[in-house]
Amino acid sequence: MSPSVLFNFNDAKDAFTASTRSALDNKTSKPLINAFNQITGNETEKKTTLDQALRQVLEEQIVSCYLALIYLSIDGVTEGLCSATTPFLLLGDVLDCLPLDQCDKIFSFVEENVSTWKSNSFYTAGKNYLLRMCNDLLRRLSKSQNTVFCGRIQLFLARLFPLSEKSGLNLQSQFNLDNITVFNKNEQESTLGQRLLNYINPLHSFSKEDGMEVEEGEMGDEEPGVPAPCSIPIDYNLYRKFWTLQDYFRNPVQCYDKFSWMTFLKYSDETLAVFKSFKLDDMQASKRKLEELRTAGGEHVYFAKFLTSEKLMDLQLSDSNFRRHILLQYLILFQYLKGQVKFKSSSCVLNDDQCSWMEETTKLVYQLLREIPPDGDKFATMVEHVLNTEENWNSWKNEGCPSFVKDRPVDDKPKRPTRKRQAPEDFLGKGPDRKVFMGNDELTRLWNLNHDNMAACQSESREFMPSLEEFFEEAIEQADPANMVEDEYKVVRNSNYGWRALRLLSRRSPHFFQPTNQQFKSLADYLESMVIKLAKELPDLPSEEIKTGEEDDEDNGDTLLKESNDSPSMQTKVVSNQQMDEIAAKLGAQWKTLASQLEIKAAEIREIETDSEDVDMQAKLLLVAWQDREGTQATVESLITALNNAGFPKIADILNET
Amino acid sequence: MTLLVSCPFHCFKWLHCFNNSYTFLKFSGTVFFVQHLHMSVFSQSFSPCGRFLAAGNNYGEIAVFSLSSALSPDATDLSQKPILTFTAHEGPVFSLLSTDSHLLSAGNGEVSAWSWAELIKRVIHNLHFSLFSFVFSFISIPPLQENSLVIGGGDNNIHIMDLESGIFKSVLQGHTDYIHCLSVREREGEILSGGEDGAVRIWDCRTGHSVHCIEVFKYEDCARPQYGKWISCLTTDSDWMLCGGGPSLSLWHLRSMSPTSVFPLSGCQRQATFYQDMILSVGEGQFVSHCLMGGEVKAQIPCTPHSLNTLALNLNSTEHRVLTVGGSSHQIDVFANLYYRSFSLSF
Repeated sequence: MSPSVLFNFNDAKDAFTASTRSALDNKTSKPLINAFNQITGNETEKKTTLDQALRQVLEEQIVSCYLALIYLSIDGVTEGLCSATTPFLLLGDVLDCLPLDQCDKIFSFVEENVSTWKSNSFYTAGKNYLLRMCNDLLRRLSKSQNTVFCGRIQLFLARLFPLSEKSGLNLQSQFNLDNITVFNKNEQESTLGQRLLNYINPLHSFSKEDGMEVEEGEMGDEEPGVPAPCSIPIDYNLYRKFWTLQDYFRNPVQCYDKFSWMTFLKYSDETLAVFKSFKLDDMQASKRKLEELRTAGGEHVYFAKFLTSEKLMDLQLSDSNFRRHILLQYLILFQYLKGQVKFKSSSCVLNDDQCSWMEETTKLVYQLLREIPPDGDKFATMVEHVLNTEENWNSWKNEGCPSFVKDRPVDDKPKRPTRKRQAPEDFLGKGPDRKVFMGNDELTRLWNLNHDNMAACQSESREFMPSLEEFFEEAIEQADPANMVEDEYKVVRNSNYGWRALRLLSRRSPHFFQPTNQQFKSLADYLESMVIKLAKELPDLPSEEIKTGEEDDEDNGDTLLKESNDSPSMQTKVVSNQQMDEIAAKLGAQWKTLASQLEIKAAEIREIETDSEDVDMQAKLLLVAWQDREGTQATVESLITALNNAGFPKIADILNET
Repeated sequence: MTLLVSCPFHCFKWLHCFNNSYTFLKFSGTVFFVQHLHMSVFSQSFSPCGRFLAAGNNYGEIAVFSLSSALSPDATDLSQKPILTFTAHEGPVFSLLSTDSHLLSAGNGEVSAWSWAELIKRVIHNLHFSLFSFVFSFISIPPLQENSLVIGGGDNNIHIMDLESGIFKSVLQGHTDYIHCLSVREREGEILSGGEDGAVRIWDCRTGHSVHCIEVFKYEDCARPQYGKWISCLTTDSDWMLCGGGPSLSLWHLRSMSPTSVFPLSGCQRQATFYQDMILSVGEGQFVSHCLMGGEVKAQIPCTPHSLNTLALNLNSTEHRVLTVGGSSHQIDVFANLYYRSFSLSF
């Protein structure tokens, strides 16, 4: 058949659309009939075109009518005209009636108004409806074909509900046990077609085909049951072990079973050994091929699971991203096995061997991650960081996913001011002995030599400046012409001596500051003149010497002990042996009471007991131990105090008398 | 028949063969031959169809493995054992070579030929060739001369023998010490030989004269006096030549007769081959080295034997295109992917 005029689809559709609109407005089908008769063409062609036109008009109507209605209802709620659930009911109805491609438009509307849904008047009423509506939509959609739409719905739900919304959480920390990775356990199941890509493994190079169009389940051209002749040798051993590991990642609880763990261990070790020996490099080559892949392939197809064909094994092993996936799976698994998860049953514990294997393998995995180009180090640090933050989420889950919104705190009882505990007396030297206990005998002794650092520094024994007479004795001798010492051998020529001489003179001699008209060519000459002057004065030195305020005398070591408040008496002297014997004899078996007063440690008491049987001897040993510890501070006075405190006033009096 | 008094391989110890007296050891449930502990694999050769591998060891045995069953998905431990093992010679089998239909083996002063078709059917029928008064190590098929065999001898000479009749056709003299390795340059019709004297000689087949003599140890870049001057591995790829042994493995440009790159591999390399744009080399060391033509070592893939003697690439078949290496162990490592060891065949 050859129609006189060709049927033009687009023109016909436009004509139909226009007539449909006018028919709608006028509520009669007359325009439609007219248009139908006017347009030339085949019956079926015209019919299908009209179908299309009608659908198109419906689509327009959705935007204009349905959504307008829903806007109306929202306004109604805000005005208080209708109940808050109405817009949601309307939305639900609309979405249930429409086909999926038109649901898209409605859903965009829903997404845009998320702020409205979250406002107070709508939220409580509508959230359940919205949740149900979204879940219904998700059930209708296919995850692999409408990925974007599914994603949008999920994102919308995430924006709508707070983080702690129970319906969105995996409260029991359950695993998706349905996520089974299938792989070919025997050759008959291999269904992969012949098309493969030229890639990195140099042992096998194929002619380059267009794009990575391989999909699981694609049948080859041969009859089913006859395996396709394989063009490359396949390592089935590694293949099977490798994909079996995925089962452990799917259900980590298996790892707690001893037998499964052994298998897991063995397979993991083999796989990681392969990763280790098969180092990835050649970044230039793979970059080039990635570019080719991207340009050759069309749209990016989303694969939700691993491709497990055995022929891809080599290619996958050469791919950095694939390796990163697998290694990351290991790290996540280990974190679960090690971690504290409330929902693990109590039988899920790892023994020491398993833990140590996990530690080693974790180190190996991180090392392998770092070696994977590009940017291996960065990736590894990032992964470590992310896994650390996972711990926080894990503990949040263990607490039952509490809300992040802080409640207003209830007013507490006013706090009572805490009482500061007073430091023990002895600690700061406020005790009766005026000693500061440093916790160690030696330190205590050292510290208590003199509490006050400044005073100690100023004490006599720290006076190191020599007198003029001492220092210049030699120079004076040399200056005496009778000795006939050569100039160059004079000690004043020594620069070190000269410098010290100058300092000494400035401190001790008035001649230093007397102005003189004499010009001195060198230090040595100046010093010679000074020396001569001093020599003249030397016999007069004791009377004419101007003291610069330093006391050279009183170098008594005992006076380091600052007992200035006490009048010097025999009581500040150390206890003598004779005194100790007397006291020991008097003490006898009661030496233990004195021991506590003298702050003798329990260990030492025991030692004394074991050392001798005689009580007198023990008492003597006690006193000796005390004296050893105190050293110069084992004074009569302190012993008297201790005796008095121990309840031996009579013995104390003996000491007082002596 | 004189036995070898010195061996060309530094790694391996001459031990007495446990001739026909096997000692069984029950070792964790499996029978473990003491022989296996001291076994070294010296040579390998693939069948012309590419589905079988023949390997020769120091006990004079040749084992034939079926690659197709070892590589199949239903492979078990048994498939990694040889389908046939037989004693070919009294001494070690230093060299194996496959022609279109036959497997030639050299050891202990004799060359034997075995038909591949018969070996596959597990029939052992030795087509003997003449016995020689000297011991020799390597054999090769010379270019431009079908049915001839080049034999590098322990008598410092290279003999060319006719395969049909077994008569010697010519002798190439020039080396001052025994020959270790042979290689052929098809296009130019030349034979290259490397020997204990440290010289690589290039012979013209037609005239029988030595065209060039390269003394590798005299080149400072390559020489390693601590290892000696002997050349243990030699291979050519028309214009390029790889040689190594005592001196470092080096790549030579044959037109200019100069070394272009020296590879920093420790230990003596015993066999090297060109593959696509890489160089694969085995020697002392528990790994297979992948090197680039420029002189850098790209990768070292670990394998089972502690020191490797032989490396073979199965270019006869695409399905079974594997790399196999053997050395001082009874196991032969098979690499389906060059970068990691897939499994091991075992004697």
